[in-house]
Amino acid sequence: MAEPPNVCLTLSNQPENVMLVRETLSGMADTVGVDGADLNDIRTAVTEACNNVVLHAYEGEEGPLHLEVYLRDETIEVVVRDHGTGIKPRIRTEEEEALGIGLSIIQALAPRVEFKDVSGGGTEVRMEFAAPASTMLDELLQDGFEPPQVASGELATTTGVAVAPSSLARRVLPRVMCVLAARAHFSTDRISDAELVADALVAQAPASSTGEHLTVTVHVEPRNLELRVGPLSSGSSQRLIASSSLGGVGPVIERLTDDRQVAVDGSSETLALRLLDRR
Amino acid sequence: MTVTDMALATATRGPAVVSGGTEEFQLFVRHEQGDLAAREALVRRFMPLARSLARRYDRSSEPFEDLLQVAALGLLKALDRFDSGLGHPFASFAVPTILGEMRRHFRDAGWSVHVPRGSQERALKVRDAQERLANRCGRAPTVNELAEYLELSTEEIIDALQAIQAYESLSLDAPRPGATDEVTSYGDAMGAEDERYELVELDATVSAVLGRIPQRERQILRMRFVEDLTQTEIATRVGISQMQVSRLLRRSLDQLRALTNDDKPKR
Repeated sequence: MAEPPNVCLTLSNQPENVMLVRETLSGMADTVGVDGADLNDIRTAVTEACNNVVLHAYEGEEGPLHLEVYLRDETIEVVVRDHGTGIKPRIRTEEEEALGIGLSIIQALAPRVEFKDVSGGGTEVRMEFAAPASTMLDELLQDGFEPPQVASGELATTTGVAVAPSSLARRVLPRVMCVLAARAHFSTDRISDAELVADALVAQAPASSTGEHLTVTVHVEPRNLELRVGPLSSGSSQRLIASSSLGGVGPVIERLTDDRQVAVDGSSETLALRLLDRR
Repeated sequence: MTVTDMALATATRGPAVVSGGTEEFQLFVRHEQGDLAAREALVRRFMPLARSLARRYDRSSEPFEDLLQVAALGLLKALDRFDSGLGHPFASFAVPTILGEMRRHFRDAGWSVHVPRGSQERALKVRDAQERLANRCGRAPTVNELAEYLELSTEEIIDALQAIQAYESLSLDAPRPGATDEVTSYGDAMGAEDERYELVELDATVSAVLGRIPQRERQILRMRFVEDLTQTEIATRVGISQMQVSRLLRRSLDQLRALTNDDKPKR
């Protein structure tokens, strides 16, 4: 069984998604104690790998960008993958020269780099960085990881994130929500509410106690965010909402969202939460 | 170096140097012989590379001009150390040298002193702008509106929003613009409303848990989750910034969760 990543993002190759990747890395660094200067190196190298996907992988078309982060005893590995046309080795135009600089930057900042072809077309850049001693997260991850599914027709407006364990999710998911709520033109009020919902999901989702990944896909429209949480086991959605109830303030998830729907699919289900900004 | 050597070096330098060509190679040869005009021409030729690296290096709150100076210093070092006779393109040698200079800068002097202060100052600016815009428009601004108002990127605004969550020191005691004598302190703002709050009927366990949350946080929780006020409305009532309301809500919900879990029977 392949080793599951601690963080897995499925994004479209739009330029603004590079920021989402960078914020995810900052959340990771907060959790495992990567200091500012080392985080700068990681963010710079990974940004260059993502920019390659944004600018070159799909020749001006839209396509998926996958990010995976593996936290190990002594290393942090970040994988950036596309299913595009691959990195061309020849450098003829100015734009391609910029690409060449990007690859040099990655090689200069990551102690280990590997460029691989993806079967069926595409490129994978695996970058390994030294990890601080505190990287080890206590919880073990469960096998059987499924990356977040985003239909290709929805890619432009939908972002998938899966993260484990919950100590990492605590720092990563609210940051991702902040970026996506900002993209949905939410006011700072509602951005904060979206982060509070993310906090509640991390604390209350069944995954938080079982070592499973918390998987959320977020659909962004102007002043409208839809979070799809799951797949969850049957009946988990209602329990999740009920367990977000805190003394005196009621079920936090219910109070902060505008709509809640459960979609059942066989033995699993997905909880869809809608947040609107009605200003 | 003989003419044959030079031809060989050019031939083996590979495709990356095509845009540079032999003129660049001649400049390196003259530079290695101590020709200052050639050195100047090379600096001019490769400054865009140094500038591009300074721009692409994730600099957090480091001013760009400072980082550009460090990158230029790295470029000079690269020029001094480069051996054109080895036949490698200069750029592939210069990129790690310039980046190495910027990394050293951050590790030696830059990071621990400049960056936290810079990002803290920006976080305060974002907090204050949020209040001004909220007062002006009667509602909380969006990230784009803040970015436009402060002439910062949306990423810088988002980083500031995240930093505010983390800084305990940007706390309730920091003076706020436009604060009036009406609300002289936090406690004053809280007191009157809180008595009513205590009258809300709660069962014993809930009261026990809530009782361990500080009074001001209880009040804010109530305004958000019972009265359904927006964070900006709460901020106005209490006389603190919306960002502080946000931070206090997050913190007190965390506390409530921890206390609720403590009270559950252990399995």
